[in-house]
Amino acid sequence: MNSWSGGEMLAVAAARLVRDDDAVLVGLGLPQVAVALARRTHAPNARLLLELGVFDPRPAGEAMGIADPRMWTGSRAYGGMLDVLGYMLQGGLISLGVLGALQVDRYGSINSSLVIEADGRRRRFRGSGGGNDVASSAGRVLVVVRHESRKFKAAVDFVTSPGRRVAGSTRAAVGLGTVGTTAVVTDRALIEITDDGAVLAAVHPGEDVDRVIEDTPMPLLLPNGEPTVNPSPSVEELELIRGSLDPLGWYTT
Amino acid sequence: MADKVRSLNAALEIVADGCHVALGGFAITRCVMPAVHHLARAGRRRLTVSQTIAGLDTDVLVAAGCVSKLIYAGGSLDRFGSLYAVSEAVSHGEVETEEYSSLAMTLRFHSGALNLPFIPCRSLLGSDLIPPLLAAGTVHVQPDPFTGRPTLLLAPLRPDVAILHVDTADRDGNATLAGPRWTTHETAFAARHVILLCEEVVDQVPPDQALIPGSVVAAVVELPCAAHPTAVAGRYDYDRAHLEAYTALARQGPAGMRTYLERYVLSVPDHSAYLALAREDAAR
Repeated sequence: MNSWSGGEMLAVAAARLVRDDDAVLVGLGLPQVAVALARRTHAPNARLLLELGVFDPRPAGEAMGIADPRMWTGSRAYGGMLDVLGYMLQGGLISLGVLGALQVDRYGSINSSLVIEADGRRRRFRGSGGGNDVASSAGRVLVVVRHESRKFKAAVDFVTSPGRRVAGSTRAAVGLGTVGTTAVVTDRALIEITDDGAVLAAVHPGEDVDRVIEDTPMPLLLPNGEPTVNPSPSVEELELIRGSLDPLGWYTT
Repeated sequence: MADKVRSLNAALEIVADGCHVALGGFAITRCVMPAVHHLARAGRRRLTVSQTIAGLDTDVLVAAGCVSKLIYAGGSLDRFGSLYAVSEAVSHGEVETEEYSSLAMTLRFHSGALNLPFIPCRSLLGSDLIPPLLAAGTVHVQPDPFTGRPTLLLAPLRPDVAILHVDTADRDGNATLAGPRWTTHETAFAARHVILLCEEVVDQVPPDQALIPGSVVAAVVELPCAAHPTAVAGRYDYDRAHLEAYTALARQGPAGMRTYLERYVLSVPDHSAYLALAREDAAR
């Protein structure tokens, strides 16, 4: 297994940022595969929660979304949104949120609502759901996106979920009490988000730093010294993804 | 104990044009399909629909032209697709939207249920969701009286009618629901008139499993497979082929939606006829 897809590398790189003592709220797709992978490797005690009221599921098979009962298999407790997004998340008990995005900017603000086309037309997407809540109240926020130019913006078309700075203000100034987005993981790189902006912390194996910068149309800072190279996926990680976490390759191919 | 078991038609007489109706589905689970089919056939107009995460029930109701305003936190059909009818109607200005986050919707129902004047929430701050809501007058941002920090206040939500799917209910409306329950509980207490669509009417539900007490329920409608083609945990899966057929048509725009509505909603007398049709499709 000396080759892997970008999606597999993305899942692996994101999984490595999950800590064993994390309580994690996830959106569907790659975020969920990444957290499942972390739990099967270095973070077996990480807790997974789903916004509609699911605690500690062990998802079985390929689920079509968080509303698919397959995603709830093996849950230890059921509740409602007030339990998960209210008491747990707003209550300060969710240490990590993992979110997808249509667009993300240098401060880690997320757009999942609408895209403004070149002709000014607005294309609508699924909206916030619990995404804004996670970005507002989770201890750390990880954004996972494919490394496509259109996904990176100096400023997103619509701030569904605020990052480190919004409209020139700090989070504290607008009333937010948590730090917000801490990293953006793509299938080519790991971008850390700081109060000063986005830092190209690491690239994935085989990636050229200059090419990655070229293909990331938003201001990117460089760390002291060169960006590091992320370790390759292990055989175990790839076997877990292919064998049980995403066997049909819906999210990682 | 009151007997609140009604036919679907009788239960839905309360829903007049212009009503605010909360729907109980969530994307592709527990969608209250027989109710939206009936409202579409009855030609209801100018409904306001509130739903935390909008799903197939709302999309079909919008496609049928029954809705003029949507209060929600976004929605989709999960990987099956987007809410194509909602997108289409919103982009043409046919449906007005108020868009929140999931927690903000939850707290609006919660606050309505508690008869509070408003409820604070730590979400939405600093996002582009706020300006239109400020303009609509349903949120305020003002200093917290204790700390002086900017705080978001949400207006309560009191739907005229809630239509919710549950597993079992007794004849008084004490009801059980297996699996996660998103905002079903808050919505039931917030609405002025609650209609339950249940899979099964039973003599008695175990009191410690009753998520919704009969005290707040106005009508109980027994409709096996009420959420078809969406899923009900522990009872039936979503109908994958039907959802794929729906999204294929909905994606085509109004003409495709019309085809779907004609075949599965408008030319069908009731839910059992709809189910028979769906079973016929599956057998093919």
